[in-house]
Amino acid sequence: MTAPRGAIAVVGIDCRFPGSPTVEDFWRLLLDGRVAAGPVPGDRWDPATLTDVKSGVDTPAAFIDDAAAFDHRFFGISPIEAAAMDPQQRLLLQAAWRACEDAGYAPRSLAGTATSVHVGIMSSEWGNIHLTDYRGMTPQRGSGNGYCMAANRISYHLDLKGPSMAVDTACSSSLVAAALAATTLRAGEANMAIVAGVNLILTPALSIFYDQAGLAAPDGRCKPFAADADGIGRGEGVGVVILRRLADAVADGQRIYAVIEGGAVGSDGRSNGLTAPNRFAQADVIRNAHERAGVDPHDVTFVEGHGTGTRLGDMIEVRALGDVHKGRTRPVLLGSVKANLGHLEGAAGIAGLIKACLSLERRTLPGTPAGAENPDLKLADNGFRLAAGTTRLPSGTVHAGVSSFGLGGTNAHLVLSSPPRTPTPAMRDEQAAVLTVTAATREALAANVAALRDALAAEVRGRVAQFAWTSTRVKTGLRHRAAVGGIGRDALVAACDTLTRTLPGDGRPAAPRVALAFTGQGSQYAGMAAPLYRHCAAFRHHLDEASAALGELPGGTLVELLLAGADLEPTGLAQPALFGVEYAMGRTLVELGVRPVALLGHSVGEFAAVCVADGITLADAARLVVARGTLMQALPGGGAMLAAAVSSAELAELVTVEPGEVLDVAAVNGPRAVTLSGTEAAVERAADAIRAAGRTATRLRVSHAFHSALMRPMLAEFTELAERVGPGSPRYPLYSTVRPGVAGSVDGAYWAEQVCGPVRFAEAAGLLAEAEPTHVVEVGPRPVLLGLLRDVLPAHTSLACSPGPTATGGELASVVAALYRDGVDLDFDHWFPPSARVRRTLPGYVFDRDTRFWFSADDGRSVAAPQRSEPAEQAAPGAGTGTPAAGITTLVLAAIAAVTGHAEAALHPHAQLDELGFDSIMAMRFVDELEPAIGPLDLEALLPNLTTVGTLIDHFERTHQIAEGASV
Amino acid sequence: MNHLLLGSGIALPGEPIDNVRLGEKFGTDPRWVERFIGTRTRHLGVDLDTGKPTHTLVDLAAEAGAAAIADAGLEPADIDLVVLATASPDHLMPASVNLVADRLVMQSVPTYQLQSGCAGAVQALALARRMLDDEHATALVIGGDSCAKHLVLDHDFPALPPSELVNYVIFGDGAGAVVLARSEEESGTRLGPVCNTFVGLGRDPGQVIRWFGAADRDSGEQPVDENYKAIEADVPTLAGEMLTELLDRTGWPAESITHLMPPQLGGRMTEHITAGLLDRFGLTAREISCVADTGNNGNALPFLQLHHTLPLAPGDRALAVAIESSKWIRTGFALEGL
Repeated sequence: MTAPRGAIAVVGIDCRFPGSPTVEDFWRLLLDGRVAAGPVPGDRWDPATLTDVKSGVDTPAAFIDDAAAFDHRFFGISPIEAAAMDPQQRLLLQAAWRACEDAGYAPRSLAGTATSVHVGIMSSEWGNIHLTDYRGMTPQRGSGNGYCMAANRISYHLDLKGPSMAVDTACSSSLVAAALAATTLRAGEANMAIVAGVNLILTPALSIFYDQAGLAAPDGRCKPFAADADGIGRGEGVGVVILRRLADAVADGQRIYAVIEGGAVGSDGRSNGLTAPNRFAQADVIRNAHERAGVDPHDVTFVEGHGTGTRLGDMIEVRALGDVHKGRTRPVLLGSVKANLGHLEGAAGIAGLIKACLSLERRTLPGTPAGAENPDLKLADNGFRLAAGTTRLPSGTVHAGVSSFGLGGTNAHLVLSSPPRTPTPAMRDEQAAVLTVTAATREALAANVAALRDALAAEVRGRVAQFAWTSTRVKTGLRHRAAVGGIGRDALVAACDTLTRTLPGDGRPAAPRVALAFTGQGSQYAGMAAPLYRHCAAFRHHLDEASAALGELPGGTLVELLLAGADLEPTGLAQPALFGVEYAMGRTLVELGVRPVALLGHSVGEFAAVCVADGITLADAARLVVARGTLMQALPGGGAMLAAAVSSAELAELVTVEPGEVLDVAAVNGPRAVTLSGTEAAVERAADAIRAAGRTATRLRVSHAFHSALMRPMLAEFTELAERVGPGSPRYPLYSTVRPGVAGSVDGAYWAEQVCGPVRFAEAAGLLAEAEPTHVVEVGPRPVLLGLLRDVLPAHTSLACSPGPTATGGELASVVAALYRDGVDLDFDHWFPPSARVRRTLPGYVFDRDTRFWFSADDGRSVAAPQRSEPAEQAAPGAGTGTPAAGITTLVLAAIAAVTGHAEAALHPHAQLDELGFDSIMAMRFVDELEPAIGPLDLEALLPNLTTVGTLIDHFERTHQIAEGASV
Repeated sequence: MNHLLLGSGIALPGEPIDNVRLGEKFGTDPRWVERFIGTRTRHLGVDLDTGKPTHTLVDLAAEAGAAAIADAGLEPADIDLVVLATASPDHLMPASVNLVADRLVMQSVPTYQLQSGCAGAVQALALARRMLDDEHATALVIGGDSCAKHLVLDHDFPALPPSELVNYVIFGDGAGAVVLARSEEESGTRLGPVCNTFVGLGRDPGQVIRWFGAADRDSGEQPVDENYKAIEADVPTLAGEMLTELLDRTGWPAESITHLMPPQLGGRMTEHITAGLLDRFGLTAREISCVADTGNNGNALPFLQLHHTLPLAPGDRALAVAIESSKWIRTGFALEGL
């Protein structure tokens, strides 16, 4: 009795109970007071074939729907293994995954953590059937059964390193598992615990037993503590809760359903019989639990009783409770979920615990639909009242007890309290947000996007950003990715709808290679980036930084000018404004985790490019850009610029310069896209000449002749300033438009050279092709460079941070979503402000329900043979037998199919063998399958090639040259 | 124990509809609306082109309620009682408040619905405040109205007299809500005195909204009647009386009032009444009004004003006045930043 004390928080829940496939469905079932009992489904046993068994075989019970469905591909389990696994293990795997999500984790992120697993389980009927079929025995049947595996599989698939154990104390198994988990957490043996209970009714054995023992309710309904109570009705299902130490859960801002203040487990000892309950032992356990919890029994508002609805069991339970609670002024409300679900045996305790947790969280105790109190129990005298209808629980801290008693005398009681209530305010305005979803398959991705979309549509507007942030934490880490960006609920919901119609094709995204292109002067416009500033906290933060670095500009700070929609045409404003906006956009992307393979900046855009790559400090860059703009603006006006659709070579032939005139090439943007800059007359004459040659020439709206000799008068002063800036090395490759090639270092001389020299954009873009970007993101107020790059670079995805004056401010979120979708790993905590980093409840993963696995044993029983339903994905027949014409590819595919049970159609060349569940035992069987057809195999040479189906086939094509069509 | 306003939320259906758009539909001259009514935009829970309802009162009340709960940082399960005030419930039965509770997935909570004009919002606050006790710590208080039912979209509008045309431009749909809690917290926005006084003895109703059943559905009576002259004459006086009472009951000097939430009838009327109040009481308070942008959406209005006022900074003091001109009810309340 010296177990360490300490409150434990219930931070995640998932369940699948009769009539309620999700937690919310379960809650509604409870509130509605529904009873789930029904006839024996056809896939269990056929009572009609058991007429010689006297009773119990056709007693109704509460069954879950579609117990055979299992998303084996999600867990990388082959059909052969899935078919051999106890379906209780399959239910546990899926529910554990969803419970971890509910606790706010991407389950894969728990890999390697000290997370323990405690599974309450008392049914081994699957094993009883399949392990007695000696002729049909397989290695998968061996590992697919046994209580230990029920827990160990969860630890294996999630790669959890804490203690992992099954608990069998009969009907109290899963509440004892919860008590053990709490002790494990208190002792520091684990930092998080997954507690589960599971029960499937696969044979009528216990039904017959209950009937023989006089414990069975003929209608299959438990009526706990009720006058009509006439025995046990059976039920099945799976429930999982995630536990953490309360202090840890609070520190991490987790949703807390309820707090386990303390608990106790004890035994009846030598009671009136092995299976007879013991009032005094039960009372001791309840007293101990209260003592450890430090909660006075008189402070308890309700007790979720064991409540099997047997006359004796109810009587002893109430007397034991009375021993602790008698004499209260206000009665304790007593109920049991068994009235709704029946007796879930190994999962009974977790069902009661989940009901109690939800009741405490929602301050509502659902009624127990069992009928009027049994007067013989004298509930009132014992300090109790049956919780008949739904009861609102008081505000403030509410305490509750949960009991579960085992047939062999192991009793458990937990004392719970309502969760600490910390307000988490919504946000008042709608922010640009990114929503992510990942799934194991493309089909599942669509289903999961749809589920998240529906939940989002029902979310309060002010919580949409919080919902989205939660998705980036939880809905991540699986192979297939989807993501949408936008401002507010309606935009995100609409984006989800569009996405489900246009989901990308199959396949793991290649690691994207992102190039950032920073737009040059001319792209500015009044009010640019203002919507983005209002709606995107990350951009706002970085623009504020840039604005502060730029200081007071003519008319105000940069932020003031942008928000006021000030005219940005004067070059003294245009250059700092573009720099600030591009810096903030680029910095936002880099902080999120975009690691560009190439940077490119057009003219003034190069400042933001280098600054984002830390090749120049923000302060230095801001000072230089302000000086550059101010000095240029101070130059005499009168210069002109011209965009001409000619090549450099043609230009030399077409254009002449008179003495005293200036006409320089300001930029070479493409093979037939040149910008000229110089004195008015020279530019005008050039325009005439170019047009006369039948080419397009467009005058640019500029105040000065940039990148021409007309800039020289400012050069001395600018150079002097620039030289004070030390050299810097961009941390990402900068494809310079000043000195073709990747600029290893950028210094003052570079920036001075940039003023008068031409923008050698086409050359830089051509060299950039070597970086093989898969994505080009234009960083600027409107896309200008994307079009120029589209033709020069190999096929890539073009993305613009802002579309121009029609921008809503949601576009950058869409760019980020597209990058994530295509495989860029991002840290979204850098996108969402602290007020959005609030955990919201998301729907659990929607598992694929297309594949089913059911009984396959030939157990030779003459009676009670379970009805067989074949797995949808039937194991392929063995390879090599009488196949007249088979190439090596066909042979290999057939062999993989034979040992894994996958249909050959599922064996795409890129399919990962581990994701197909191809394990070392299967590797040996694979060799056995192939050797008769192609002779002895070199195992050592084979092993390194067991990666993907394609690699394996390549290996055999190299080592076994069998001509197509050759007879084997 | 303080009564604190923990959060607020609003729901306005669709995009704002401006006077030009309204003119296209009803033939109302935008300049006339601007000049005489003073309402710039309103929201309607009906699609003007198809005539199909887009938002019911329950839709709006549930959305505003959910937003207020979220704004308070709470969940629906934290709410111990719900009060809804409306003059335009979706049905006479079931009471809309219960449909709202169902929408918010509430069970086993006391619910109340007040049938009233815009004074209902203040009555709802008064009732909620009274109902909070040791067992009921947190109330959701909602006000909302929907006029869509009264908008006949295929009238011969040019033939309508201005008195009837006014109804088409002055009203709007919407809902607002606050979360009111009984709390030992010493910081936040405290709800001070709430006043609700019937003053219509012997006075003809300034506004009548009738309802019809199977027996009288063809009575030919006009569903909505307004006596704008009486409203124009009496509301400013009643508003002044209300403010006097609030200042008396709070004991606050007029110059210490930082926010004033005046009655929201229409843009022009509200301007006129506010100017009168500021002048008469020598107030320097900031006016919080919304009717020019939202239209007169009845019981939503005080909550929309509250939404733009909350939270008050420590030391701030706000007074609100709402006058119901149907059978003449004078209401108001005071708020204080702690």
